[in-house]
Amino acid sequence: MTVIASKGAGPFIAPAAILSLLVALVPVIFIFYNSTAGGTSTEAFTSILESNLFLRAMRTTVEVSLLASLLSVVLGYVVALHLARQSARRRAALMVLVLLPFWTSILVKSYAFTIILGREGIINSFLSWALGAEVVLPLIFNRVGVMVGMTNYLTPLVVFPVLASLLAIDPALYRAAEIMGAKPARIFLTVTLPLSAPGVLAGALSAAVMSLGFFIVPALMGGKQDIMLANLVDFYTREVLDWNVASAVGVILFALVAIFAVPAMLLRGKQQGAR
Amino acid sequence: MTAHIRDGRKVAYRWIGTVLAIGVYIFLLAPSVIVIPVSFGSQYELSFPPRQYSLDLYRIFFSSDSWMQPLFLSLRVALMTTFISTVIAVPAAYAIVRFSFIGKKLLMALIMSPLVIPSVVFALGVYLYFSYLRLTGTTTGLVIAHTMFVLPYALVIISAGIQKLDPNLEFGAMLMGAGRFRMMMTVVLPQLYPSIGAGALFAFLISFDEVVISWFLAGPTTTTLSVKMFSAIQWEISPVIAAVSTILTAISLVVCLVNVMLQKKTDTPA
Repeated sequence: MTVIASKGAGPFIAPAAILSLLVALVPVIFIFYNSTAGGTSTEAFTSILESNLFLRAMRTTVEVSLLASLLSVVLGYVVALHLARQSARRRAALMVLVLLPFWTSILVKSYAFTIILGREGIINSFLSWALGAEVVLPLIFNRVGVMVGMTNYLTPLVVFPVLASLLAIDPALYRAAEIMGAKPARIFLTVTLPLSAPGVLAGALSAAVMSLGFFIVPALMGGKQDIMLANLVDFYTREVLDWNVASAVGVILFALVAIFAVPAMLLRGKQQGAR
Repeated sequence: MTAHIRDGRKVAYRWIGTVLAIGVYIFLLAPSVIVIPVSFGSQYELSFPPRQYSLDLYRIFFSSDSWMQPLFLSLRVALMTTFISTVIAVPAAYAIVRFSFIGKKLLMALIMSPLVIPSVVFALGVYLYFSYLRLTGTTTGLVIAHTMFVLPYALVIISAGIQKLDPNLEFGAMLMGAGRFRMMMTVVLPQLYPSIGAGALFAFLISFDEVVISWFLAGPTTTTLSVKMFSAIQWEISPVIAAVSTILTAISLVVCLVNVMLQKKTDTPA
């Protein structure tokens, strides 16, 4: 980074600074303020900690996020490994297959999955036709639907950091391992996997951060049992109209995300420092 | 002989890897692609593949006020958001790349926070705050919130562009007596157009597709296309949604191709 000057940054950064103070910091303060009813009461928190609805949503959120992150790391790794082995030109072309889903609206995906996974959806129709009997697998509006939708959304996010760390591996290491007689499986376990670990960790953490706050997928592809914390925030804001409780759920979700976001940011800082 | 055996195994591993990868590519792409044939089906039934092809669904979409009003609102919000966020992001990116100042890291964390904070939490905070300011349900409120939401993306893309510029040109201009503003306009900006264009395009799509914040801030007269679509999927599953989805996918494809071109130059994902 080339630093021209240490003075005079003010006018350049001022608009962004003012906007982020007013529209990023103040809203967060509003949530914390509301969750304690102005710093005077912990009632909102005690009431949700006793509510079964909240406890179930909390459990669902943690379970679904961890499992979806794990699945997307596995799928993302498969794709990243395939991309890493292509020539630069082919990789750029194949990248479209990851970037188009990455840029596709989550609403389009959720809607498409209702067509694919629904009671009379593509998969059930195909199975009915192939087996010659009526098949109605419950694939959507339940946990399966949520997992499919979330994994589909998260996988591209994992591909990018994993691919970056796979491409950073010195090809001479592969040649050396091969010359020394290591078999492909051994090369994968002793060279590829350990050296791509930072990318996997970065991908897993960002998948976890994203998935904890998921709102659209559980709302459109889940059942009543699959309500996550983000949906609960919406429920308390719009249905119950209890802003204090909604804010308390928001604060807890915020804290939960911080558990994964802080190491993710430290990791990114470290990688940039090493470069 | 041994070399032969090892080669065979290597080929087998590659082959398994490719087959698995193709499976994942299909899984990733299926939802983006499947809406296209469905959107050319008939208005009376949702089937894949459609039994009859027609443009009915597009006709309904483009002729009904209940879809056109949200579409135009979304376009208006996205365009204003793109313009304001770009105007803010360009100088900010320049300051971040070229200057060191007190509190830079803290400020960066704050500007980048919409990437990490769950959008529902951000949306609730903005909703409470804007209720206080009486900005909920207004286009202004939507634009302000979206501008903050897309700022980190625009900032990252534009900063990457500035990092590749030669600072000596800027030095030179200032040694020759150009003020900062003139130097910015005549030296930095002309070199930066591709990054600014890409940043603006990403900002546009992110604002246009954004659901959660709009869902919290929308009022009866300020329903964006994404909010309309969200409630439509929840309550009616009308086949018209397939036409909307196809249009959105087409926009995504354009953005995705720009992203690929950008990537060829820098080889780092967005």
